[in-house]
Amino acid sequence: MPTLRKIPLTIISGFLGSGKTSLLNHLLTQADGRRITAMVNDFGALNIDAELIAEKHGNQIALTNGCVCCSIGDDLMRTFIEVMQQDPLPEHIIIEASGVAEPTRIAGFASVDPQMRLDGIVTLVDASAHHLHSKDPHLADNYAKQIAAAHLLVISKTDLADAETLATLRDELRAAYPQVPLAETMHGHMPIDAVLGLNADAPHDLPSGPPSGPMDHNFVQWAGHLSPVPRHEVIKRLETLRPHVLRAKGILTDCDGAYVIHYAAGRVEIEPFDGDASGHFVLIGTPALPDNEALAQLF
Amino acid sequence: MSIIYQAKSIRTMNPHLPHATHIAVRDGHILAVGTKDDMDGWQAAWGPLELNTDFATRSLLPGFIEGHSHMMEGMFWDYHYVGFYDREGPDGTVWPGLKSIDEVVAKLKEIQANRKDKDAPLLAWGFDPIYFTDRRMNDADLDSVSTDCAVIVLHASLHILNANNFVMEAADVKGADNSEFIRRDENGKPTGEFLGQLGFYMAMRTTGINLLAIASSPETLVNFANVARQTGVTTATDLVNPMPEGSEKPMRETIDADDFPMRLVVAFQGNSKEPDEAVARMQELQESNSDKLRFSLIKMVADGSIQGFSARLKWPHYYNGAENGLWYIEPERLGEYLKAYTKAGMQVHVHTNGDECTEVALDKIEEALRAHPWPDHRHTLQHCQMATRAHFKRMKSLGVGVNLFSNHLYYWGDAHINITMGPERAARLDDAGGALAEGVPLAIHSDAPVTALAPLFTAWCAVNRRSSGGVTLGNGTQNISVEEALYAITMGAAYSLKMENEVGSLETGKRADIAILAEDPIDVGAEGLKDISVIGTMLGGIVHLNQGRD
Repeated sequence: MPTLRKIPLTIISGFLGSGKTSLLNHLLTQADGRRITAMVNDFGALNIDAELIAEKHGNQIALTNGCVCCSIGDDLMRTFIEVMQQDPLPEHIIIEASGVAEPTRIAGFASVDPQMRLDGIVTLVDASAHHLHSKDPHLADNYAKQIAAAHLLVISKTDLADAETLATLRDELRAAYPQVPLAETMHGHMPIDAVLGLNADAPHDLPSGPPSGPMDHNFVQWAGHLSPVPRHEVIKRLETLRPHVLRAKGILTDCDGAYVIHYAAGRVEIEPFDGDASGHFVLIGTPALPDNEALAQLF
Repeated sequence: MSIIYQAKSIRTMNPHLPHATHIAVRDGHILAVGTKDDMDGWQAAWGPLELNTDFATRSLLPGFIEGHSHMMEGMFWDYHYVGFYDREGPDGTVWPGLKSIDEVVAKLKEIQANRKDKDAPLLAWGFDPIYFTDRRMNDADLDSVSTDCAVIVLHASLHILNANNFVMEAADVKGADNSEFIRRDENGKPTGEFLGQLGFYMAMRTTGINLLAIASSPETLVNFANVARQTGVTTATDLVNPMPEGSEKPMRETIDADDFPMRLVVAFQGNSKEPDEAVARMQELQESNSDKLRFSLIKMVADGSIQGFSARLKWPHYYNGAENGLWYIEPERLGEYLKAYTKAGMQVHVHTNGDECTEVALDKIEEALRAHPWPDHRHTLQHCQMATRAHFKRMKSLGVGVNLFSNHLYYWGDAHINITMGPERAARLDDAGGALAEGVPLAIHSDAPVTALAPLFTAWCAVNRRSSGGVTLGNGTQNISVEEALYAITMGAAYSLKMENEVGSLETGKRADIAILAEDPIDVGAEGLKDISVIGTMLGGIVHLNQGRD
């Protein structure tokens, strides 16, 4: 059976009002040719500009940039079925989980779908309301589970919290989840590559030269050229950079042939690559990543 | 044309005339109830009444009302039933119960051997592992049926299914994703058992069978009505349906046909749209209401199930230490919806299983009523299985009704005592006696297809409170009398659906919806309730008889 490339599933989780919709909105505006399907609770909250809507059909809205938004309407399974009937299939699926969803439950759909893989769970922590959410009489346990399930933690609404609150929250999360990358955002602004990874369907588009250096909003990127290297060795090196590396992607070779490696906060996906591997390798991380020189040495 | 039906006894549920022997039916309605002499007085003005003695040895009750069921009950009859008990299909065929896993496997092998298309997916349903405690069904069982086609066995609870390795390979079940919803053996290898919606999703994705489309098809609706009819039901509910645009038209056509033997109340899935749009959609749906089809309810689901450990329980949560369950909607969002529907004058039924969830639902209903006072809202808590007397008192104050899941006492009573709730809390499971004592309007239900649809069985559960393991739950204060149980499956349920002026009792002017029974349940008493043979029903004056009953 030929191996089909599996569609990555990214789950955005977090308390009601933690900024999930803002983040999703921001990601969709950066799609830049990626056919993303976003499964959302409420179209209205997405606030999509009428000019960007190409077509509205039932509970799906096609955008002019190639993305599609699907309303979940309390029926996740039905929505997944509908999404996997899209033609063409999406390149990436993002689901905006409800404020009480357990992201690991949603991830289970990817486990049993022959054409889907879990890319990662992103959990937003509202800097201005963490003290309330973590003590909510009915939701505190659920909130803790969402945070514990995250492959990427994002402190949101940093502009609405004072410096001391923010520092305390940072320390708290860092201490509790030392291996999980921790990012910060205002108004849901995050680079799409940091959340969804580098465009998976276009491996040739990996930047060839360095745009190494600072990215938008407190993220850094490093690009390098790797000579043939065993895949397990790459994983080992990446593990030494936890929790500061959010994403990595490379088109590399080892004795088993050319391969594409996707790394997302501890989750590794390796696919065979048809063609000559360029050796390109790109990392996206927090500013706490070692400097370019150290990275060049490591790889 | 008017017909007088003579019966051995008629239990009317009308307190002014609780017992009668004759009932006159005209134009789909009840003209008169009483004795033969009482009928005669009508003939002067209404012309001759023809006496029918077909049911002279039978007992008549108001047609039963199933206040919490799902039309999905009708969807599996094209597949193979492998449940523990004999079950009668919509066409009257009796599917024999299978008493061990080996019997189930043998039955599946027989089906596979005898069918023409051996590569088509083989789907079976109704499997109930609670009766087989020695081991669980696994992939090897189903691989022995076939390794060349999908073999899938749905459990009676609909929360779990088993699959063979053909399915798991097609789904490419990932070893790396350690999902807690995929059961594994001690070596970490999936056993073929999938929990929650995952199994259904995998079955659809690998076989191409669109169970969702089948669930809402006209055939399913007809099957559902026939299964319900055979148990004496004349009005049932489809208690949560997203009703996509345009779906009401085929539904109305199916139900309005004369040979469709049941009234259906559809509860619109309350959070399938944003509050404003949902209210507008509900108003649109109500234009399709007819004598037999009603869009009159909103359903909101707030937590999961107790036996699935997904219900929200108050401290100290689960008896076996399992972590607390799930919210299916943010409490804040539940509050927004309740406010919108209360403002629009739309009755809401809220699914709450655990006691924490019941309390939050009552908080949100109270907030909605403070914002939009509505004396006869009749919002109702569905399942509400762990309610305390304090909760019932508060429900009484707020005007909230309850529809309890009495069948749970039998199916999961033992599990609730030993695993989920512990003995003290399990004593108050589905406390119908408590609800009535505190003055809360009561209905009781099956949640079919989760448990078997049969109101007399549900009544038996509420009266006897006996588990499948033979244990009696509670100390007697939670039991209700046979009369109270019969009221709950007729007028009680009618009241919860705001149909008490039309159906639920046999009295002049109401619809001629009747359950025809072989014996009088009051005479039979508590023990034998569930075994009373249902001869048929009358719906709006039209008689529908079960095959081969006496």
